[in-house]
Amino acid sequence: MSSCAILSSTIRMEGASVADFSWTARSPLEHALVAGTHGARGVEAGVSLTEIRNFDLIQVMARRGQGAELGKAAKARFGVAVPDAPKAVQTSDATLIWSGPDQFFVLSKGGKHAMQTLAPALSGSLSDQSHARALISISGAKARAMLAKLSSIDLHSDAFPVGAAAATSMDHTSVTLWRGGDRPDGQAVFNLLVFATFAESLWHTMLDSAAEYGVATGHSAELA
Amino acid sequence: MRIVCPFCGERELGEFTYLGDAKPVRPEAGASEDEVFDYVYLRDNVAGQTSEYWYHGGGCRAWLKLTRNTLTHEISSVEPAAGVGARQAVK
Repeated sequence: MSSCAILSSTIRMEGASVADFSWTARSPLEHALVAGTHGARGVEAGVSLTEIRNFDLIQVMARRGQGAELGKAAKARFGVAVPDAPKAVQTSDATLIWSGPDQFFVLSKGGKHAMQTLAPALSGSLSDQSHARALISISGAKARAMLAKLSSIDLHSDAFPVGAAAATSMDHTSVTLWRGGDRPDGQAVFNLLVFATFAESLWHTMLDSAAEYGVATGHSAELA
Repeated sequence: MRIVCPFCGERELGEFTYLGDAKPVRPEAGASEDEVFDYVYLRDNVAGQTSEYWYHGGGCRAWLKLTRNTLTHEISSVEPAAGVGARQAVK
């Protein structure tokens, strides 16, 4: 989500120097994402693309030589060990996603693990990425077939089970990809974080790749 | 060509960027002009084993040090470059 300032009142009087701003969160995909079904007709959509909006995303990195201290502090905070290999760990109210050696993302909702609350608890370098990334959830019977066109990673269940994660590139764009819990109908869910400014480009690429299977698009405020 | 990142596993070349020869060592302060000239400008054009730095920018953003054979393209070792991450790779 990116924040844009919208002038909510105009200055009417000379001498009034302060303009009132209201900050409204807007999705980087608000133009590209047209909710509905696209591509192949007369078939059940093989791919489902859902943008998740309004999340808190904090990048946490250990300072040099302090990986163990950060690991301890994070375990005290989240109750589980942070991933030290490409994996995503689900806690009761957050997802911890590996993003590189001695670094991980904290994905959550509702401000429980936002910058102000997390910073005092963790002894690393924290950076708020909530408005810097778009989060896209990909599922459906043909999700793997679509992703195979864009990614060189083996996404077969044996190689990429629930909780697997990867820092990788798709269509020359850096993404963080991880497998969330399966849908109630048993289908795999792939979650993807992409830089906000690249989100529209990647979205169009995924729509094109999914078109032959039929694709259902939409957005949601619920984390998968 | 594929590189096995010690953090991410096997990845395609497109995720990596070549930095250069990993062999030159920065001379101590006060080194002679010849030594500095060597360090800055002179490189060996090796037919055989070389060590080189690569950057996994399309993935975990770690710097890696490869040992590669320029005749066969065989990569015999990949390790984190000094200073990568706050600790070494966890296997």
